[in-house]
Amino acid sequence: MKKDVSIKVCMGTGGMAAGSVAVMSSFKKSLEKVGIQAMVEKNCSVHKVGCRGFCARDVLVDVVIGGGKATYQYIKPDMVERIVNEHLVGGTPVDDWLVKDDYHTFHDKQVKVVLSDCGEVDPEDIDSYISRSGYEATKKVLTTMTPQETIDVIKASGLRGRGGAGFPTGVKWDMAIKAPGPVKYLICNADEGDPGAFMDRSVVEGNPHAVIEGMIIAAYAIGAPYGYVYIRAEYPLAVERLHLAIKQSNERGFLGKNILGKDFDFNIKVKLGAGAFVCGEETALIASIEGKRGMPRAKPPFPVHKGLWGKPTIINNVETLANVPYIMRKGAAWYAGMGTEKSKGTKVFALTGKILNSGLIEVPMGIPLREIIYDIGGGIEGGRKLKAVQTGGPSGGCIPASMVDTPVDYESLGKVGSIMGSGGMVVLDETDCMVNMAKYFLEFTKSESCGKCVPCRIGTKRLLEILTRITEGKGRKGDMDLLETLSSDVKTSSLCGLGQTAPNPIVSTLRYFRDEYEAHIKYKRCPSMACKEIISSACQHTCPIGTEASVYTALIAHGRFEEAVQVIRKDNPLASVCARVCHHPCELTCKAAEGGGKPIAIRALKRFAMDYARKKKIKVQIPKEALKDQKVAVIGSGPAGLTAGYFLALQGYDVTIFEAKPVVGGMLRIAIPEYRLPKEVFDIDIAFMEDAGVKFRTDTALGRDISIDGLFKEGYKAAFIAIGSHKSMKLGIPGEETKGVIPSLRFLEAINTGKRIKIGKRVVVLGGGNSAVDSARAVRRIQGIENITLLYRRTRSEMPAYDEEVDAAVEEGVHMQFLTAPIQVLSRNGKLSGLECVLMKLGDIDKSGRPRPVPIEGSEFVIDADTLIVAIGENPDTSCIQGSRGIEVSERNTLVVDPETLATSREGVFAGGDVVTGSNTVIHAMQAGRKAAESIDQYLRGESPEKRYDVTRPSQYIEPLELTDEEIEEIMEADRPAMPLLPVKKRKNNFREVESGFTQGMAVKEAKRCLRCELSTLDGQKTAQEIAMRKRTRS
Amino acid sequence: MNMVDLTINDKKIIVPAGSTILEAAQSAGILIPTLCYHKHLSPYGGCRLCIVEVEGIPRLVASCTTPVAEGMVVRTDSEQIRRNRKTIVELILSNHPNDCMVCEQNGRCKLQDLAYEFGLKEIRFQGEKSHYEIENRNPMIERDYNKCILCGRCVRMCDEVQGVGAVDFSKRGFQAKIATAYDGVLDCEFCGNCIGACPVGALTGKPSRFKGRSWEARKVRTICNYCGCGCSLILHAKGQDVIRVTQVEDDNCVNQGFMCVKGKFGFEYINHKDRLKTPLIRKNGTFVEASWDEALETVVDNLARIRKEYGNNSIGGLCSAKCTNEENYLFQKFMRTVIGTNNVDHCARY
Repeated sequence: MKKDVSIKVCMGTGGMAAGSVAVMSSFKKSLEKVGIQAMVEKNCSVHKVGCRGFCARDVLVDVVIGGGKATYQYIKPDMVERIVNEHLVGGTPVDDWLVKDDYHTFHDKQVKVVLSDCGEVDPEDIDSYISRSGYEATKKVLTTMTPQETIDVIKASGLRGRGGAGFPTGVKWDMAIKAPGPVKYLICNADEGDPGAFMDRSVVEGNPHAVIEGMIIAAYAIGAPYGYVYIRAEYPLAVERLHLAIKQSNERGFLGKNILGKDFDFNIKVKLGAGAFVCGEETALIASIEGKRGMPRAKPPFPVHKGLWGKPTIINNVETLANVPYIMRKGAAWYAGMGTEKSKGTKVFALTGKILNSGLIEVPMGIPLREIIYDIGGGIEGGRKLKAVQTGGPSGGCIPASMVDTPVDYESLGKVGSIMGSGGMVVLDETDCMVNMAKYFLEFTKSESCGKCVPCRIGTKRLLEILTRITEGKGRKGDMDLLETLSSDVKTSSLCGLGQTAPNPIVSTLRYFRDEYEAHIKYKRCPSMACKEIISSACQHTCPIGTEASVYTALIAHGRFEEAVQVIRKDNPLASVCARVCHHPCELTCKAAEGGGKPIAIRALKRFAMDYARKKKIKVQIPKEALKDQKVAVIGSGPAGLTAGYFLALQGYDVTIFEAKPVVGGMLRIAIPEYRLPKEVFDIDIAFMEDAGVKFRTDTALGRDISIDGLFKEGYKAAFIAIGSHKSMKLGIPGEETKGVIPSLRFLEAINTGKRIKIGKRVVVLGGGNSAVDSARAVRRIQGIENITLLYRRTRSEMPAYDEEVDAAVEEGVHMQFLTAPIQVLSRNGKLSGLECVLMKLGDIDKSGRPRPVPIEGSEFVIDADTLIVAIGENPDTSCIQGSRGIEVSERNTLVVDPETLATSREGVFAGGDVVTGSNTVIHAMQAGRKAAESIDQYLRGESPEKRYDVTRPSQYIEPLELTDEEIEEIMEADRPAMPLLPVKKRKNNFREVESGFTQGMAVKEAKRCLRCELSTLDGQKTAQEIAMRKRTRS
Repeated sequence: MNMVDLTINDKKIIVPAGSTILEAAQSAGILIPTLCYHKHLSPYGGCRLCIVEVEGIPRLVASCTTPVAEGMVVRTDSEQIRRNRKTIVELILSNHPNDCMVCEQNGRCKLQDLAYEFGLKEIRFQGEKSHYEIENRNPMIERDYNKCILCGRCVRMCDEVQGVGAVDFSKRGFQAKIATAYDGVLDCEFCGNCIGACPVGALTGKPSRFKGRSWEARKVRTICNYCGCGCSLILHAKGQDVIRVTQVEDDNCVNQGFMCVKGKFGFEYINHKDRLKTPLIRKNGTFVEASWDEALETVVDNLARIRKEYGNNSIGGLCSAKCTNEENYLFQKFMRTVIGTNNVDHCARY
C-alpha cells in the first residue's frame, strides 16, 4: 500500500531566520536525489507551514508518514540528508535530533484554537486550509444563518476583544448592525506594536485564511461591504501571505461580489502602517487609513457610529477575528466551555524574557500563571528565581512572584494591577531591575506618544527622566511621590489609551517593588545589578565592604601585583582570611558568568595577591589619622570586632579589643579548621592590625571580667559589642543529652585550639551548613575513624554549605545521607549507640524559599553510630548583657540596633555582627564592623549620625590591557582555572591547607578574562579615553 | 432647534443639541480654562485643560470635544480637576523658555495667565527642553517653536479658515513640532491669522517686534481701509505710532476677526517718511508741495485741455480696491459721463 509522506518545514519569520528556506530546499533536493518516490513507494511532498510557537527550537521539521508524526528540532540543511536516508528511506527516525520531552511539556498544557492550524496548514495554499475544514464556517453562516443569528452565536460564545481591552465582540457587532446607512466598514487591526509581542504576526503568517474567513463572517454579520486590514509594513512576510490569501480567496469566490451566490459583497484592502504604536488606537488607525497623521481623536463619536470616512466602522483585532471561524464551526457552547465565567475561550501569548522555553503559546483563560511559567515555559533560565511577570506590554503591569498563582483572565489580571493586553508576557528574574524595567517601557511609550496631548507628550518624557535619574543613582528624595502623582495625573488626563496606560509599569512596580526604588534612590544600590551607573562593577557593588575587586583584578592582569595588594588592603584588614574563607558574593554577580560563562575567580586572585605579599614581605602602609586621646572598647574579636577595631585605629582612636577566649579571632579562629585557614595566615592579618595600633585583651569576658558601665568608668568613650553567636542550638529530640552528642562548635573549637576531646569511631554529623561540612572533614582527618556520615534533611542542592566544601568532603570520603532526619538518639549503657532516623521528601516551598522537608511515614530506620556532632546552628548568647543598663535585647536574643548606624538603645554603645543578625557570613560581619567604626567616629566627633550613600565607583581606573589578536583569542577561549588542591591522599591524618593557590601564570591569565565593567560607566569611559589620550601624546 | 437640559456645577442649563459641554458652560458664564480651543476652529482636545467630570463616565473628559447629552451632570472644578490642570500647566512650563520679560506676548499670554492662576512659582518637573532655531526667513512672521505648546490652533487656522495648509504637525511625542513641508521656509499668504490664533508667544508679527508692550498701547477698533470689504480690526497705538494690528474678538463684523496680509501687516506706511501728506505738483521737473485746491485745479485744467486737444478717448481712468464700491461706481460714472470715455479699469485686474 502506498503511504503518504509529508514533510512540514516551519516557515514563520522565526523559522526563516533560523534558515528554514535552505532546509526546505535541501529536503527537495535530497528527495530528488534518492528518487524516493519510487524507492519507498510513497507519495512524498514537502510543505511550508507557519509558526508552531517554539521558535527557540527552529528550524522545526515534522515528518508525517501515514499519520504518524515525528518532529525534529534545530535542523540545519546539512542534517537533511541523514533524515532522508535513515527516516524516510530506512524507516528509523534519527533519535538524536528528535524533539525531547520538554518540547511536549511545552505543548501539553496548551489549548490551541487560533493556533490549531498554524504549523499544520501551508499558509500559501488555500486548499491546505480548505482540507482542514477551512471556509466551512463561511458556507454555514452565509447559507444558513441571518446576520443577527451570527451575532447571537458570537455573543453566546463570550468572545471578547483580544486586542487588549476585552470588549465583548458580539456586543460591538450588534451596535454596528444597528448603525444606519448602507456603507459600513470592517477593519482588522494587525498593528501589533507591543515590544516582544508577535501573536498577530504569527497568526497572519501561519494561517491568513482564518483571519480572512473571520472578516467575511464579521462583515456579513454587520453588513459591511468593505474591509481593511491595517498591518504594519515591518511585517513583510505577513503582508505577502495576506495578499496572496486574499487573491486566492477572491479566486474561489469567498470574496468579491455575490459571495456563494448570496446577495452579499465583500472586498478586503490591505493598508500598510508605518509602524506607529499609537496607530493601534482605533481613531488613530482610522486617521491613518484616511491618509492623515496617525493621531487619536476624542470619543464620542465612537467609530461604530462615525468611523472610517465618517461611516459606521468596527475594528477587531487579528486574534479576535481568527477565533470566529472556529466558533462558527464548533459552536458557541464549545467555545464558552473553555475559560472562566467572564473570560471565555483561549488567549495567545508571546512568552519571552528569562524563561527557558520562550515562544508563542495558546492557553485557556483562567490558567494559573504558575502553569504557564513552570510547566509550559519550563521555569526560569539558569535556575534563577522568578521575580515578576509583565503582562500587557507597555500598557500593562507586573505581577510579582508571590502572586504567581493568579489566574490569567481579564478580571484577575485587572485585580492585581495588570492587564491582559494583546498578549505580551515578559518573564523577569532576580537579575532584572524593576526600576530599569519601568524605564524601558517608558522609553518606549515616550517615543511612541503622538504628541497631541500635553500629559502624554510631556508627562511621559518627565516620568522617563525621573526614572532615568533614579537608575543612574541621581534619584532624589521625593522622587517616588513625584512619580506616583505624575503617573496618576497622566493616566487621568491623557486623551487616548496610550497616555492613559503609559504610566502603568511605574504604578505597578511602585506597588510591588517599592523597596527597589528606595534602594536606588536612598542607598544608591541596584539589588539586581542591572543599573550600570549605580553599580559600576557588580563585584565591587556586591562586596559588603566595597572591595575594589575589578581594580585589583586589572592590576594583576597588568602584572602590577604590589599595587593590587595595596588596593585589597585599603578596604580589608582581614584580606588573607577572606582570600581563603569568604563566600565571595562578588563571584555570584560577576558579569563574566552571564550567558553560560564562569565568573572570574576573584577570591583566588585575592589569595594570589596576598600570598605574593607574604612571600615578598610587602609592607602595606595605610594612611592613618593623628592619634586622638579618646578610648574605644570593642568587645569580641571576631570579624566584626576586628574590622571595627582596625578602622577606628586608622581614625586615630585608642582601641582595645576584648576577647573572652584565650585566642583572638572569634569564629574565624575557633570554628574554621586549619586545613581551610592556617593559623599562621590568620596571624598575618592580626599583625597587620596591631601595626595599625589595635590592642588586644584576651581572656576578658563581658559580664564576667568587664561590664559596659565599667568600661565607661574606665574612660572609654564608646563601645562596640560584637560578641557573635556562640550558643549551640538544641535538636529537641529524645536522648539528646546522651554522652557522645557533641555540638559542632565545641568540637571544632577543641580541634582548632588543641584542646582534648573524645570522639568515637563511627561518627554522624548532622546539618547542611558549613559547620557541618567543616566538622565532617575535620573528623575525617582524625586518626582511627571508621566512618563518617553527614545527615541532611533536604538534598544536596538545598545545602547552605559552599559547593566546593561539599565536593571536597565527598572526595575525602564523607558519606552523605540526604533526605534524612533524626528522631531519637539511641543509647546503650548510657553511651550513644545509634540514631533513629526517618526519611524525608521535599514538599512546598517554605519561607526560606526552599522546599520544606516532609517525613515519610513508616520509613524509620537506625544508623549505627557512637558519636553525633550536631551542627544545626548557633544563637547569640546575650546573658552577659542582661545586667547592662539600657541595651535592648530582642525576643530572638539578638541586640536591637538602628540598622543604619548600628547604635543600640544606649548612648555610645553600638553593636553588630552575628549578635545582631544571628549567624551570618564573615564578610557581612566585617561590613557591620566597618559601619560601626564610621558611626562611632561620627558619634565621637559630635556629627549627625545620618549616613551619606553614594553610587559605587572605583578609587582609580586602571587602563585597559593592550592585547594582540592572538592574546584576545587566547582570552576568549580561556576558562576559569580550577583551584590547585592538595591531593586527597595527602590530606589524611593532618590539617595541612588543602587549597594551594594559583600560580602567577594562572592568576594573570584569569585576571585577563575580567570584563572590566567599571570602564563602561560614563565616568569609566571618560577616564579610559583620557588615559588613551595621555598615552598617545606620550608616544 | 432641539434643546438639551443638563446640570453644570449644580446649575441647570438648557443648550441646543450638538453643543459641547464647554459651549454649554460658556453660555452659562461658567469659566473653564482652555488653550487649544478656538471658537472658530474644530475642537481638538489636545491641551486637556478643559477636562471635567461627567457623572457615569469613569474618566475625565475634555469638555471641548464632548457633546452634551440630556440629563448630563457635569462638574468643572473638583479637587482632582484642579490638580490635573495644575500638573498640565506645569508640564507645559517645564518645556517652555519662561522668558516672559522679553516675550512679545507678555501681558496677553494665555499660558502666563494660567501660571498666575495656579500660582506656579516653582515647577516640580525639570528636564530636557526643546531647542529649535528661530524661523524668521520671511518679512512677516517669526516662529519660535521653543515657546510652542502644540495646541494646533495655527494648523487648524491655516487649514480650516485660510485653506492654505502651510503648516502641520511633524515628528512624534516630545519631538513633535509644527513645521512647514520638509521644514522649509514658510511659504504662504502671510495672512497672519496664525499669529492671532497663537495663545502664546510662539508666533509673532515681525513688524511689531519690540515696538511696545501690550499694555502701553491704546487699542482702537476701526475698519481696515485697504479695500472695500470693510474688515474690523484693532489698531494698537503707542503714542502716535501704530505698532500692531490684532483681530476683533466678537463676531459683530464682516470678517469675524480674520484678516488678510494687508490688514494684519500693512500698517507701517501710516507714519512712514515716504508717505504723501500733501499733493505734489511737478514743476520744472521736480515735485513741489501744493494745496488741494491748487492740485485739483491743475487736474481739472489739464483734463479739460487734453480732452479738447486729443479727444475723449485719449484719457483713461484706473481705480483702486482701496475705494469702496460706491466710490468705484462714481469713478466710472465720472469717466463715462463727464470725460466721455469707456477707458476705465481697476487695480484688482492686475
